[in-house]
Amino acid sequence: MTALLELANLRVGYGQSVVLQDVSLELHQGEIVCLLGANGAGKTTTTRAVSGLLAPWSGEIRFAGENIASIPAHKRVELGICLSPEGRQVFPNFSVHENLLLGSYSKKARQRRAEMFDEVYGLFPRLAERRTQKAGLMSGGEQQMLAIGRALMGCPRLLMLDEPSLGLAPKIILDVYEAVATIAKRGLSILFVEQNVQAALLVAHRGYVLANGQIAAAGTSAELQNSTLVQEAFLGKKPSLLATDGARGHSAAVPAI
Amino acid sequence: MDIFPQAFSDAILLAGLYTLMAVGLSLGFGVLRIINFAQGEMIMLGAYGAFWLFTLMGVDPLISLPLLVVAGFALGWVLFHGVVAKVLDAPHINQILLTFGIGLAIQHVAIILWTGNARSTTPDYATTSSVVGDVLLVHGRVTAFAAAVVMVAALIAWLQWSETGRATRAVAENRSAAVLMGIDVNRIYALSFGVSCALSVATGVVVSFILTITPFMGFPMLVKAIAIVILGGLGSIAGTVLGAFALAFAETFVSYYLPEGSGWAEGIAFVLIIGILLVRPRGILGQAVET
Ligand SMILES: Nc1ncnc2c1ncn2[C@@H]1O[C@H](COP(=O)(O)OP(=O)(O)OP(=O)(O)O)[C@@H](O)[C@H]1O
Ligand SMILES: [Mg+2]
Repeated sequence: MTALLELANLRVGYGQSVVLQDVSLELHQGEIVCLLGANGAGKTTTTRAVSGLLAPWSGEIRFAGENIASIPAHKRVELGICLSPEGRQVFPNFSVHENLLLGSYSKKARQRRAEMFDEVYGLFPRLAERRTQKAGLMSGGEQQMLAIGRALMGCPRLLMLDEPSLGLAPKIILDVYEAVATIAKRGLSILFVEQNVQAALLVAHRGYVLANGQIAAAGTSAELQNSTLVQEAFLGKKPSLLATDGARGHSAAVPAI
Repeated sequence: MDIFPQAFSDAILLAGLYTLMAVGLSLGFGVLRIINFAQGEMIMLGAYGAFWLFTLMGVDPLISLPLLVVAGFALGWVLFHGVVAKVLDAPHINQILLTFGIGLAIQHVAIILWTGNARSTTPDYATTSSVVGDVLLVHGRVTAFAAAVVMVAALIAWLQWSETGRATRAVAENRSAAVLMGIDVNRIYALSFGVSCALSVATGVVVSFILTITPFMGFPMLVKAIAIVILGGLGSIAGTVLGAFALAFAETFVSYYLPEGSGWAEGIAFVLIIGILLVRPRGILGQAVET
């Protein structure tokens, strides 16, 4: 079965400086995959390349079997690639409701607008209570819910979340991840970036670790949890002699759901 | 006789016209971050369009208005794809020189084609008037005001409630987030530039029966529009309306109440531009704009 999303030897950067040297990864229909990596590793750059905000220098971005590397960003939304970007990027002078309306701007999403409103307001009752409030006046957690809700309004086939827990209190992080888990149960495919490795591996089926512009490790959540590399790099644990290192190597395939 | 009611009503009528004159500039800047220095010449073209349609074919300016608005939109669309799109990421000075150059070229073509002679359209309502209480209302000015209110209201309603209007505001607010909503930013740019030119052409049509028409009429109007837009905060439509009222009231009251006031009134726009840039560069309602 072909992957929903497949990056093959992706190389991309800004100006003269390369950020992703050679990145290959894949995500199957219904999978939740997390992308881990230190600050500046290129996680956000990866999401920007997939959503089309950044043109790849070389390599392929395949979505549902089709190379989309040369398709402009706004058309990728129509294909069903929706990103909740780093830093939320809600429209501050728009009301909550208007932000969500914009989320369903694309033709396909517009037809299912009423249904998606029910779903998003059901998922985040907080947003329903504040639908007329200006997005810029909301708390960080509420803005994060709005950014996720706005991406959901686009009827994604692939939902990308870039650090949904950034800057949020632990209690709110739980709320946000509970929502992510709820969305996931409906069979939506999710690629998300997270600094909070514990939380990420709890939610994700599989994960990739980015370092030096390449995939340094990949595997199921359990494998990554126990991998020396991940423990050293993120969890602050001393490498243990017993730690398994089976997660290195590229695709520890997980059966698609 | 108390001149206040007269000054007040004159100021209101002028403010409507000023709003229409400046709102296109404001929209263009808010969305594309480019000040179109050829906007004055678009006004001039609108005025000539109305003049020739009236003189050669006897078409009332109010009838030619929708026609010329469509032509103005088409002109803006073509100008955007032909030239403006190529300097979107260029330094501001390049953009200013480019639009300024376009304006100059249009002005000179107008001189060659139509000479520098002063003209005007003279539909019946241009000169008739009625007296209401202490106030003399020239029908031409009332008509221009009404046309301006209709068009500005239509613009605001479009921005507020239509799918594309909402997308236009989104692009003005955050371009890359707008892309992530599936909005074709380039299309919105072309559309906004077209609408902005259409509004300037519309301004020209309605002033064609109020002011004298010459190839040079655009520049002073551009200066006033810039003063209004800076006053209201670049890119804010509500601010532009406020700015238009502020300038109209200041000019009208200075010309009524100061000796030799009508001479001084024409300089107010310049004083405002300099004053605001020194004291409060972000305008009354606008957000700071990074350059
Ligand atoms: N617009 C840009 N122009 C130039 N360099 C950039 C730009 N955006 C990011 N970079 C650089 O690219 C590298 C990767 O950045 P990226 O934002 O993808 O990292 P990240 O993994 O998302 O980090 P973080 O966890 O801090 O969000 C960094 O070295 C960064 O400085
Ligand atoms: Mg990042």
